Amino acid sequence: MMYAKLALRNVKRSAKDYAIYFATLSLTATLLCAFLSLGFSSDIIGMTENMSMLTSGILALSVLVALIASFVIRYAVRFMLGQRKREFATYEILGMELRSIQRLFLIENILIGAGAFLIGIVLGSGLSGLLAIFVKSIFHTPHNYSVYFSLKAVLVTMLLFALMYGSGLIQAAKIIRRKKIIELLYDEKKNEKVKDKSIIRLVVSGVCTILEITAGVLLLVNGLKIQTNVAMLFLGGGAGLLLLAVYSIYRNLPFLLIGSVHRKKNYLLHGERLFLMGQLKQRFNSVGKTLAVIATLLTVSLLTMFAGLTMGAGYEANMEAYYPYDFGVAVDAPLTKESFDDVISFVDTQSTVEDSLTYYLYSAGTYGVEALSISDYNHLRYILGLEPKTLRQDRFLIHCDTWIYMEPIKSALSESATIELAGYKLQSSSEEIFTEPMEQYQMAGTKGYVIVVPDEVASQLPAEKIRLVCKLKDGGTPALKNDARTNLNSGKWKPTVQPGMEIPEHATLGITVKAWGIANSLTGYTTISFCGLYLSIVFIILSCTILAFEQLSRMETNRKHFQVIYRLGVDRQQQKRLIVQELSGFFVLPLIVPSIFLLFATIGFHKFFGEAILQANLIPLNAGITLLIFLVVYSVYFCATYFIYSRTVTAESHNSH
Amino acid sequence: MSILQTIDLKKYYGTEPNITRALDGVNFSVEQGEFVGIMGASGSGKTTLLNCISTIDTATSGHINLNGKDILEIKEKEIARFRRENLGFIFQDFNLLDTLTIYENIALALTINKQSANQIDGKVQDIAGQLAIRDVLAKYPYQVSGGQKQRCACARAIINQPQLILADEPTGALDSNSSRNLLETMQDMNRRMGATILMVTHDAVSASYASRILFLKDGQIYKELLKGKHDNRHFFNQILDIMAELGGVQDDVR
Repeated sequence: MMYAKLALRNVKRSAKDYAIYFATLSLTATLLCAFLSLGFSSDIIGMTENMSMLTSGILALSVLVALIASFVIRYAVRFMLGQRKREFATYEILGMELRSIQRLFLIENILIGAGAFLIGIVLGSGLSGLLAIFVKSIFHTPHNYSVYFSLKAVLVTMLLFALMYGSGLIQAAKIIRRKKIIELLYDEKKNEKVKDKSIIRLVVSGVCTILEITAGVLLLVNGLKIQTNVAMLFLGGGAGLLLLAVYSIYRNLPFLLIGSVHRKKNYLLHGERLFLMGQLKQRFNSVGKTLAVIATLLTVSLLTMFAGLTMGAGYEANMEAYYPYDFGVAVDAPLTKESFDDVISFVDTQSTVEDSLTYYLYSAGTYGVEALSISDYNHLRYILGLEPKTLRQDRFLIHCDTWIYMEPIKSALSESATIELAGYKLQSSSEEIFTEPMEQYQMAGTKGYVIVVPDEVASQLPAEKIRLVCKLKDGGTPALKNDARTNLNSGKWKPTVQPGMEIPEHATLGITVKAWGIANSLTGYTTISFCGLYLSIVFIILSCTILAFEQLSRMETNRKHFQVIYRLGVDRQQQKRLIVQELSGFFVLPLIVPSIFLLFATIGFHKFFGEAILQANLIPLNAGITLLIFLVVYSVYFCATYFIYSRTVTAESHNSH
Repeated sequence: MSILQTIDLKKYYGTEPNITRALDGVNFSVEQGEFVGIMGASGSGKTTLLNCISTIDTATSGHINLNGKDILEIKEKEIARFRRENLGFIFQDFNLLDTLTIYENIALALTINKQSANQIDGKVQDIAGQLAIRDVLAKYPYQVSGGQKQRCACARAIINQPQLILADEPTGALDSNSSRNLLETMQDMNRRMGATILMVTHDAVSASYASRILFLKDGQIYKELLKGKHDNRHFFNQILDIMAELGGVQDDVR
């Protein structure tokens, strides 16, 4: 009982040291519990047939989160032991047995862990309600806020929490057992050695980093061009090499920066700069690998969040354009229109067909693009609820729902606005380009755009591809997709070929069902976005925690340093400015390369996926959102660290003046 | 010319009836170019006196005039500037920054005092030469001896040519040989460079290098001892006599 009292008092007394630790533990537990509750909620899983992938994703990521968090907790525990070694030495001198000290530390940490866990469960259950609202609003499902308490989620959180926390405590017990009293008492009197890295090592390392980046980028670029599963190997290898490059950069970058400043004597010997550089050099020396690991972790989290948000938003942006028709069949073969009468009849048995259109995609010869007849085009517009267009006999128009092609088409039209098809000369202008979503990679064209010509012209062109679209009374159901596929592949459907034409060797058949497509896209959107956000926010929190602890672990030494400059005539305001500069240097440096990587990722995504995402600026917008979320979390940790750090290191000047 | 003068200086801690009079009306002055030692038993108020003069602590009442200016009336915003322009410090535990080389530790006092960068190198080299630490300028504090560290602290204290150098038990962390070297260095700084030094010590050997000793007892000046034309040994014996009167001789002779 005495230990419990002493432990409780210690927790209260060391609240300052424990604050960031406690907040990180609580936040990790909150996020674990919130996302797991969401993943286990039958309400959410039941929304679509493939929603269970959200559960699998969250569960797998939670294990990863717990694993990485356990490293951070071990780190934090070492920090706390460092802060309290004198106290433990005093207990030992007073005759307290090692086992008792271990027990004391254990009780303290169990109290903290239990507190953080309970807060995590309460906040997590509350947060999961908000996340559920978010998910439901994505699916346009009616929603009210309610707490999503899930016993399964609480149990899994408890298991993961116990595993990650337990490893930290076992390590603490080991450290206490191994340390001798003299080390505990006089550890901080040891001089910190400031190492200088050799030039040869820096050069070799620099060359390796450049090679890693080059190889990584080459693998990524080639991986994106490959359509088979081998692409995953290329992409994985490329990402791995780039992360290794980030690590290598941070093993050397701080020394290169400090070294270059040190070479500029006139810059260095100015005001308090000498002191600041000394502080930073010492920081970078003592953190070394840790800073490199943090930068790598931050890169992973920035890119994960960016990729998650962009791909998720991309899904949503493309949804309407990908599935504008209730039901559609695309066959890239010259079949007769009558072939589809049976298909329409079948669909009608599943869902009443209000309207339907069977039409050809004509080949526009050397222009390498397909053509629609104006009557079919207007019928499609009618089905989509759009105004019809009129077309003179000597004109053509363009329909393009893929924004990336707009500029090239306009510039091509400005160069030459006339085409010749089947002996007819047709003209157009940039005013005759229409952009409503019509699904132009399968249904109304296959190139992202299509030309629309007078019926008379179209009738002279080869009809190599055929399409069917239906407007259904109730919009159809997701199940229609599978039912229609089964029906078309059952052998009952007997399509006929146009006279004089042949079925090509690789004729393709595609079925599109709006109800299925939307549910599928939304599930993908939700899963990718949520998993991306989950992983990256936890990574940011953990990275920030390490940064904060690294800075706070030097508090005692730095207090002495600030005392020295105080006596040399540096006032409190200047000291605070120096602290902000020191912390900024320490917090901002690991963010520089990840931010550059984010910039390149934004450009790369735009180049490779911009074409597929039907909303302009979606990629830069999500890069911006990523950076914003990142900076918010980062700033909170920065401010907390500044508050604790500056209060301690400038303590003497506070007392005297 | 008197460079430092304390008038009825008082520093009280606590409130009645549990009041501690750390300084209880201290009056003395230091002439320019003097090397003054302050001695006294533990708790006599010598460190409090030094802290008040160094503007690190504030007095309850009285006046401290440094070069004609009462430092107790300096506004808080100007204190730091006053300190860096007028005072130099030497501490028992060196107070060097282990993040900077010896060169940078000395240069720091100049950069903080807004000296232009192209004058700094010459000044550091010059003072390092005078204090025989030129060989270790590129080293970090952990790479040099205690004596060299303390001479680096001396260099840092004098490089801005302050009005007054305050030394708090400067030999406290040194062996006897290094102590002697340091005290000779300080004496040299006083005689050759004209530095005015006020040194707090409880060590009679260290004090014997000063030209005048003020003995503090219960927060007041108890006695004053002038070296005059006597040598260190004679002065040392006189110091011991007074310390015996104060009752601290057994503890404080090393």
